[in-house]
Amino acid sequence: MMLLRLLSWPYLKKHVLRWALTIAGIVLGVAVFVAMHVANRSVHAAFEKTVQKIAGSAQLQVSAGEFGFPEEVLEQVQNVPEVGVAVPVIESTVETGIRTQGSILILGIDMTGDRSLRDYELDSADESIIDDPLVFLAQPDSLLITREFAERNGLALNAKIPLFTVQGEKQFTVRGIMSSTGMAQAFGGNLAIMDIYALQLVLGRGRRFDRIEIKAKDGVRLDECKAAVQRAVGPGFEIDPPSSRGQHFDALMQSYTTATGVSSLFAMVVGMFIIYNSFSIAVTQRRSEIGILRALGATRSQVQRLFLLESVVAGFLGSMLGVLAGMGMAVGVSSYMGDLTEQVVGVAQRLDELAVDPWLIVGALAIGIGTSVVAAWIPARSAARVDPIQALQKGKYQVLSAGENRRRRAGAAVLVVISGVCLFFNNWKPAFYTGYILMILAGLLIAPAVSLLLAKALRPALKKFLPAEGTLAADSLIQSPRRTSATVSALMLSLAMVVGFGGFTNSIYVSMDEWMSTALNPDFFVAHSANLTNRSITFPAEVGQTIESVEGVDQVQLVRDARVIYGGTPIMVVSVETEKLLSKVKRVPLAGNSKEMHALTAAGKGAIISDGFSSMRHVTLGDMLDIPTPSGLLKLPVAGVIRDYSDLQGAVFIDRSVYLKYWNDTTVNVVRVYLRKDADAAEVKRRITDSLSGKYRLLVMTNSEVRAYVLKLMDQWFSMTYNQIAVAILVAVLGIVNTLTVSITDRRRELGVMQAVGGLRNQIRRTVWLEAIGIGIIGLVLGMGLGAVNLYYSLGMIQRDLGGLDLDYIYPVGFMSLMIPTILSAAFIAAVGPAESAVRGSLVEALEYE
Amino acid sequence: MSRFILALVLAVSGGMPAFAQDGKQIVEEAQRRARSGSQRYEGTLQVIDAKTKVTEKRWVFDRIGSHGNSKAVLRFTAPAEVKGMALLIVNHPDRSSDQWMWTPSLARERRIAMQDRSTRFFGTDFSFEDLEERDTNQFDYKLLAEESFVGTPCWKIESRPKSTKSSQYTHSILWIRKDNYVLAQIENFRNAGLIRRIKYSDIRSVQGFWTAHTTEVEDLKRNSRTVLKLEKLQYNLPMKDEDFTLQAIRREG
Repeated sequence: MMLLRLLSWPYLKKHVLRWALTIAGIVLGVAVFVAMHVANRSVHAAFEKTVQKIAGSAQLQVSAGEFGFPEEVLEQVQNVPEVGVAVPVIESTVETGIRTQGSILILGIDMTGDRSLRDYELDSADESIIDDPLVFLAQPDSLLITREFAERNGLALNAKIPLFTVQGEKQFTVRGIMSSTGMAQAFGGNLAIMDIYALQLVLGRGRRFDRIEIKAKDGVRLDECKAAVQRAVGPGFEIDPPSSRGQHFDALMQSYTTATGVSSLFAMVVGMFIIYNSFSIAVTQRRSEIGILRALGATRSQVQRLFLLESVVAGFLGSMLGVLAGMGMAVGVSSYMGDLTEQVVGVAQRLDELAVDPWLIVGALAIGIGTSVVAAWIPARSAARVDPIQALQKGKYQVLSAGENRRRRAGAAVLVVISGVCLFFNNWKPAFYTGYILMILAGLLIAPAVSLLLAKALRPALKKFLPAEGTLAADSLIQSPRRTSATVSALMLSLAMVVGFGGFTNSIYVSMDEWMSTALNPDFFVAHSANLTNRSITFPAEVGQTIESVEGVDQVQLVRDARVIYGGTPIMVVSVETEKLLSKVKRVPLAGNSKEMHALTAAGKGAIISDGFSSMRHVTLGDMLDIPTPSGLLKLPVAGVIRDYSDLQGAVFIDRSVYLKYWNDTTVNVVRVYLRKDADAAEVKRRITDSLSGKYRLLVMTNSEVRAYVLKLMDQWFSMTYNQIAVAILVAVLGIVNTLTVSITDRRRELGVMQAVGGLRNQIRRTVWLEAIGIGIIGLVLGMGLGAVNLYYSLGMIQRDLGGLDLDYIYPVGFMSLMIPTILSAAFIAAVGPAESAVRGSLVEALEYE
Repeated sequence: MSRFILALVLAVSGGMPAFAQDGKQIVEEAQRRARSGSQRYEGTLQVIDAKTKVTEKRWVFDRIGSHGNSKAVLRFTAPAEVKGMALLIVNHPDRSSDQWMWTPSLARERRIAMQDRSTRFFGTDFSFEDLEERDTNQFDYKLLAEESFVGTPCWKIESRPKSTKSSQYTHSILWIRKDNYVLAQIENFRNAGLIRRIKYSDIRSVQGFWTAHTTEVEDLKRNSRTVLKLEKLQYNLPMKDEDFTLQAIRREG
């Protein structure tokens, strides 16, 4: 502790900027980690809270995916002797016409029996929340809202609320106000209750329910009740506790949370290099102090502990600030992720508070401090081994010994070989990820040697460009490979991440474009709203006939898609009119024969699966699918595998005739409309809108609008990742600033001498700028190289664990061309401050340095 | 709902047999005297909540068949918001009744599941259980005393559900008038606490059936009460079975 006060504190005071930069690296890494995890947890918690609050005292839920099931199932469940209470539910988010409120979660329940499961009462039992229950049931516009929603919008009993239904914007009447406790807390208070039969009408659901909620009869065990209900309704139904919906939500969000987790980890590792760099520099600059300490009797372990203690302090400070910054960032990120889940995944929830796990904070602090200690370990160990004689030789420490270089190269070669061996066992998950990690480690080990080579290679070019400044800049890089390589490694990792994500997004955009060109080729899409992932509002198939009769329309295809639970997690089932689809869309199967695939599917004797479904579920051509339906398990062989991006969880395509038979539902989500060749698109669109007006509020979207919508969803999906990449690059740029600051400090005397012998200030500035640009160039070359490897593994990871998409390896050349000026500009900007500091210092002090 | 009406019909009575000393026999006799082939009346229901706010509804009630096998249709006539809503009740001797509600604005019926009989009957102070026909075999009866109620001699009988019978109440106290076997009051308890009190008054003979024309239910927890008044009561009118079906209530709606 005394050493910390006597040695570390004065050094810290002298190099406040560097310590600030070091801590900034930790702050950013921890902040991104905390923000992403708190946001993930908050979104999950908001969903769970909504599920839990609206489930009331229900112990089990009977469901058959998003398609729902016919009303008759309710009676079957109610007749099960083990069932105490069984009530039907429909749940949907509906857009309100209130500008500031967005969507509201509407729960359709049967008021005549539902109170045994849910509590709608006010705090005081002497008041009824519904003005008149009979009027509530008699009037299909009746709504029961929460007190919070009422107060937010100045609504009282009998006030009107506009809602967008399948029949257009309709006015609903507030006929009751719930207290702000219990169920009213669900969906951030944006909750309304409606009579289930009225809601069926509003959502165009026909005589179907979403689920049945059950309370077992007193004295009956839950597993007994579940088994009895399963026997009564058959294997096509899921019977699970309400909490299982949280697991399904997690499954839907898995690919996103994993992707953000990986990128926040990258940010942390990049931060680790900054710390490593800072401590290496500190050791270098204080080697004479260390030498004196050792001469005075300080042991090696005392010196090592001193540096480790400094790293703990820096890690703690950085982590604390990072946690605070992360919490601040989490507010925005959570809100963004909430919108994202609604828009992309089609699962709505409303965030009203951040869910912070104290263990996450402890974990973040531990990670921040741990990262700091790990990063400082090697410099601390080096400090302990400082030879007092070597300590007096300036610059000596920054040189990597031939032995160390050899060891690093050998280590990298071994790791590459092991990694290569792992490639042969790619199907085994641990082998794949081991190979991935070892390859990145190999890149890190080899980075100093390659940096040195590249710095030497750069020397002639820099010399040719600016003889004096270029030579000095190159020499500085060559003479201090340890200092240079830490920054270069950080930059390399950031850029490798950029190549990985950039390549993945590039590949997916290219593949999506191909997919949209073939699969999404109708002229118009008719749907309830522009949000095509909201499948809760459907409309009758007659709409298709109405549209088909419009002049200028060539063909109409009815689509009904929704998620069902397959093997415990959700998948998308898409029912299409196969023969009609075949006449307009040419899908080339990845597995199977096109003709046979379509023939079997059209005849209801097979199903087509997406490549994502195939790889995630390990299902391939000829395998039998057991798709749960309200009529029992639908057994269909896989007739073909196609490349498809309808859903991240994978999709199964069946013929509409099969859907009608097994789901007993004639409703439609989307109508695909093809026009005659000579038709005037704008005129036909107007005619279709006119033909539907008065009956249904449906949107007619053009092909380009739907494509733009899909691309917007993609952009939303990736935008958070882009932000994290930006943070990682920012951290890496901080590293450049740090390195240059130290480089200037190290070379103060040298730069002072330059000025003393007539060197111009601009020459010194240019030397520093060139050194920064040199680091940028080396980082770019290494980053692009490691990025190529990272992209390979990233695509493998996506296919294996994040959506099952089989994407082509396309190196993001265009994207990286943009990165070249970006990184070089960032390097230059990073050099401006240190360069100015180099020329503005006192010449006498500089000459006296050391 | 049929139970609701039959509970009211319990109030009908004739002369008292000299041997009726046993509690169960007294209740059974009261039920026997209430039996008729059909019934029609116009009802007015007033719910007075704790803040003395009054809501009022009117309906027409038709019943065919007698205790245990009856079918009934209750059709709301006022206020305008609920006009046309109808309730069809089909009673069974061996199990709970089937009930459907017709909502004209939705043009559809809904089945009412009698799962939680402690639930309030559409915002009134009656619970569904209060309106059930009581199968005397499901309860143990004990004649507690003979005492005067509102100046009329009554039997005071305790009724406790048997272990096989689920009920929100642990026990009830019934007052049955000695002069005409009409129920004068019921007090329903949960453990020692009085939950609900039902009073029958304005008892008149209609076509030989002694019937309470006013029923008042008091919910002591909510501090609210509901008053049902019967008008234009008639018994044994000619009615058709086919008018007590889902098709019929859809047609009428």
